Amino acid sequence: MNLDDPDQPWLDKQEIAELRQAIAALRRQLESGFEQRTGAADSLGGDLRGAGRRLLDRATEDPIALLRELGRHLSLLPARASSADVDEFGLDAAAVERARPLLDFLLERWWRASISGLDLVPAGERVMVVANRSGVLPWDGLMLSHVLARHFAERPRFLVADWLVHLPFVQSRLAALGGVRACAENARDLLKSGRCVIAFPEGQKGALKLFHDRYRLQRFARGGFVSIALRENAVIVPAAVVGAEETYPVLYESGFVSRLLGAPALVTPTFPLLGPLGAVPLPSRWHIRFGEPMRLDAVDPALADDPLWVNRMTEQVRGRVQRLIDAEVRRRKSVFS
Amino acid sequence: MHSAALPRSLAITGLDTFVGVRLVERLLREPEQPRIVGIDLRVPRRLEGRIEFARIDLTEPTADSAVAEVLTKNACDAVVHAAFFARAFSDRSYAHELEVIGSLHVMNASAAARVAKLVVTSTAQVYGARPDNPNFLSERHELHGHPQSPTVQDRAEMERLLELFAKRHPQITVTSLRPCWVVGPGIDSEVIRHFDRARVTTTMGFEPLLQLLHEEDYLNAIELALRKDVPGPINLAGSGALPVSTLLRLAGKRRLAVPHPLLHRLGYLASVWRAGASPEGFYDYLRFLWVLDTQRARDELGFEPEYTTREAWMSLVVSRRLRRYR
Repeated sequence: MNLDDPDQPWLDKQEIAELRQAIAALRRQLESGFEQRTGAADSLGGDLRGAGRRLLDRATEDPIALLRELGRHLSLLPARASSADVDEFGLDAAAVERARPLLDFLLERWWRASISGLDLVPAGERVMVVANRSGVLPWDGLMLSHVLARHFAERPRFLVADWLVHLPFVQSRLAALGGVRACAENARDLLKSGRCVIAFPEGQKGALKLFHDRYRLQRFARGGFVSIALRENAVIVPAAVVGAEETYPVLYESGFVSRLLGAPALVTPTFPLLGPLGAVPLPSRWHIRFGEPMRLDAVDPALADDPLWVNRMTEQVRGRVQRLIDAEVRRRKSVFS
Repeated sequence: MHSAALPRSLAITGLDTFVGVRLVERLLREPEQPRIVGIDLRVPRRLEGRIEFARIDLTEPTADSAVAEVLTKNACDAVVHAAFFARAFSDRSYAHELEVIGSLHVMNASAAARVAKLVVTSTAQVYGARPDNPNFLSERHELHGHPQSPTVQDRAEMERLLELFAKRHPQITVTSLRPCWVVGPGIDSEVIRHFDRARVTTTMGFEPLLQLLHEEDYLNAIELALRKDVPGPINLAGSGALPVSTLLRLAGKRRLAVPHPLLHRLGYLASVWRAGASPEGFYDYLRFLWVLDTQRARDELGFEPEYTTREAWMSLVVSRRLRRYR
């Protein structure tokens, strides 16, 4: 198996044909198995069956080429990221340049994101993008910041959950690509310095949604982001990321184990069954949609301290994001196509 | 009141420290020629015979009246309290007596002698290096300290006492300077000794941004605090921040990355022997962020660092290289 030479196939034609037959047989088996065990179309089993079938559709297209390309991109990333000049929030421009082919690959080939509404995002102002949290790992934040990177002069930063900062290796890598720990002070400092912030107000509640709850927005924290946006004269841009929730279909979340580890303990169809390999995000099809910006210019800044106004505004933003999500979910025909 | 002139008469505790010696030498070069009295256990050789000296042991129970007497006799307008250990001292109870109780004595003496200004050289480590720190710590941030570092805990306790003292005596301008790590050719500290090794031990997998302040900038800030009236805590840092690996690469040092459970267990005995503290108390400052927001220093104190973090670090590195070739 030689990853360095793209022209030499991993497997010969005979083996590829056999693999395809095996996949088709497995698919038939799974389908018949699901048919026997599941009932109504909108039950969890039905959802999984649909998702599984679509994943197999995707997998049988050209799995070898796709995985080979992913492998090549990963092997091109140097083993130890050496940081040269980082800015005050930890972003390393050199690391971003090195990771750009991989990020482009993830956005365009692995997740085949379709992006709409990008022209609605204002360019020269302070912008806070508010999106739905879909998934425990910050792939959604990373992809959103990559999408908006060309739109703004500076690369936008995405807010990441607390527990990730406690882990070794993760914090610096995320910071090098634009991840900043999610807290009020950081959001405020980022906006003050004129950078775009991508916030996920659902927080952990949004990340740990079970599969059948996907695309139903959880409560948007306590509205802190609205106060910050008002105080810093930022424009709120609602955004919906559809498809990212299927990258890790969460079947079960164990609170006890989570507290033990200090990190979310999830069970998906592939993780922890297949070990670390099961944590590779599935190649679902993403749809990213930006909505009309919500300006707070006409609002009295003193209202930032009024809990009633903050709550009402938060619900408005949440409603907008939910509407964007619903529109995208209706529009797409299948999860993985 | 806002004055840009030095106080006419001032006292410096902790004369036999880097801050004591260098600050006095600076002030002696000033045209204003303030009257300076130094307080410590012994007078440093460089300053022998050049200024008034009072030998007072701040850990003695009578220290506060002794200091008050010296302040009144010399009609001091300001006190610079720099009587702190440069490196962690293994005898923790003695260190506590000096850094907390000794500071309390100096505070009470300042109040009794009715000085106008008290400047304390504290450290920004009192904020604590924690994973849930925001990216920029402002002066309003709570002083968490570090539970495993008695040095930092002592300083945090001293800061809290200072805050209470300032509230109770609003007529005294109490300034607490909180610098990040200060580096330079002349200064000695725990972190400089740590980085002096050819192979520097750090925690595996963590790459915090570090700020460094050059020693000359530090002295500039202390002088500004003496000239201007800025009550309250002030964060001080060189401009810019660099990750630990960049600093080590610039210095040509090798990095020994040890996973943190191993580091804390294996380093325990050595750390307790040398510093009276468990290793986390120091290594956590190379593990988590404690980057300072220096807006207040810029706006109210008018302090602009002349050296960036990179330049401050390089001045230390270059001085070490020159030292090897002597």
